[in-house]
Amino acid sequence: MKESIRPSAFSALGIAGALVIWQVLAAANVAGNALPSATTVFATLATILGTGTFWSALGATLGIAMLALAIAALAGVVLGLLIGSFESVRYATLAVLEFLKPVPPIVILPLAVLVLGPTAEMALFLVVFGCLLPIVMQTVDGVQGTDPVARDTARSYGMGEGEILARVVLPSAMPYIGTAMRVAAPAALVVTVVAGLLGGGPGLGQSIYQAQAAGDYASLYGLVIVLGVLGLLFQGATRLAERRVLHWHESYREVVP
Amino acid sequence: MRNVAVRNWVIGAGTPVLLLAAWWFLSANSADPFFPPLETILIRFQELWLFDHFQSDVLLSLGNLFLGFAIAAVAGVVLGFVTALVPPARWMIDPLIHFLRGIPPVALVPIFISLIGFGTQMRVTSIALAALFPTMIATVDGIRSVSNDLMDVARVYRLSRKERVLNVLLPAAMPQIFSGLQVSLQVAFIVMIASEMLGSSQGIGAMTLLAQQSFMTADMWAGILLLGVIGFLVNILFSLLKRKVLSWYIGSRRMARAA
Repeated sequence: MKESIRPSAFSALGIAGALVIWQVLAAANVAGNALPSATTVFATLATILGTGTFWSALGATLGIAMLALAIAALAGVVLGLLIGSFESVRYATLAVLEFLKPVPPIVILPLAVLVLGPTAEMALFLVVFGCLLPIVMQTVDGVQGTDPVARDTARSYGMGEGEILARVVLPSAMPYIGTAMRVAAPAALVVTVVAGLLGGGPGLGQSIYQAQAAGDYASLYGLVIVLGVLGLLFQGATRLAERRVLHWHESYREVVP
Repeated sequence: MRNVAVRNWVIGAGTPVLLLAAWWFLSANSADPFFPPLETILIRFQELWLFDHFQSDVLLSLGNLFLGFAIAAVAGVVLGFVTALVPPARWMIDPLIHFLRGIPPVALVPIFISLIGFGTQMRVTSIALAALFPTMIATVDGIRSVSNDLMDVARVYRLSRKERVLNVLLPAAMPQIFSGLQVSLQVAFIVMIASEMLGSSQGIGAMTLLAQQSFMTADMWAGILLLGVIGFLVNILFSLLKRKVLSWYIGSRRMARAA
């Protein structure tokens, strides 16, 4: 009993300690008015949470991130199945994919802003660009990793190519796709914020930019705290969804004693 | 069999060449202000980066990137060891770390701008702090997954604490540390660009965004091209380093799989 209480006691101590340090540093005026005190920030945050602009910005951020994630997932899985199923397509796309993989969406942000303007479409495009490739590559790996015996068994049962793809290859690629989605979901949120912050797209990123440009530091800190909480929620939600969808897979099966 | 291999090789090498050729010819006489001819882009690329702005902007950006990444790497590994080996420290900072990790790294840049200003210091600090977490978390995971047998053997041989940390734990956690470092490097690259795009006038990111805002499209394309190539090359170099440092691990894995 005592053992299990100690970690959470230390956690509470850590959080309280950080807040106290923050408060003391702000009170000591180390950074002038650029570092508002913790109490000011949380009071400002409470006011922000009561405004309609905050909730519409939050809605825009979540809407863009999730819509783009859905588009990227659908397109990524289809492309991945295609690339993974045909050797010639795989070789044709290998070099291009390997080059684009380490290029983050922020690199093409100026181009997206130039062509699409500071709009939701621009943000959507960037998020899809950022999430698509990892999903494609993981799906290809999943298709490649399909057990050949399962494939042959399906064939000898007289399944057509389409049925094998839907009933054997896709389910066996599912854990790979799940991993890709778990990485892509927080990334979608990050890219949406970047598109708002640097590209002027709608959402919380834009709110942060405005707070910084206006020198409204308490709102700036408050919004960043909101983003931290949002990031945690996104990570938790994807983990939960992955567990739900993949409950049949051996790495998720619960052992019944 | 050999024919198939040759064919695949030709397809693999041919497609990028074909794509580049298509870009060259389709854009050759383009009057579209957004998509200038590739030739114009390459000419501007040469004029801008080789070597007019090389020292003032390219080297500056790369210097910030590597300095920030180096700080993050060292601090991440050290902090990872401390948190993994001292349980009270872990309990204390675990919730804070998870919260900070949830914040998009780029969103921290405005805070550092308000605290430190627009200078190089702010950029290096932003890069270092944002890139710290992936390495630190991977280090903690790596140490936790070191097998108990290994630690028991180290204890039986009466290795000192220092020997256990440096000669047993560090090598055993190395593969995971390097995976974390690779993620950190990508984050560092993103934050490098973001820190330059937010109200700075120097660096590749700043020049690319300024070119876009003043509708110098060819310059913007040249910047995007350079950033893409840097992102690709940095990743390749790191992969080579990783393969070299972890050659013992890759070899042992291969042996285990063959057995």
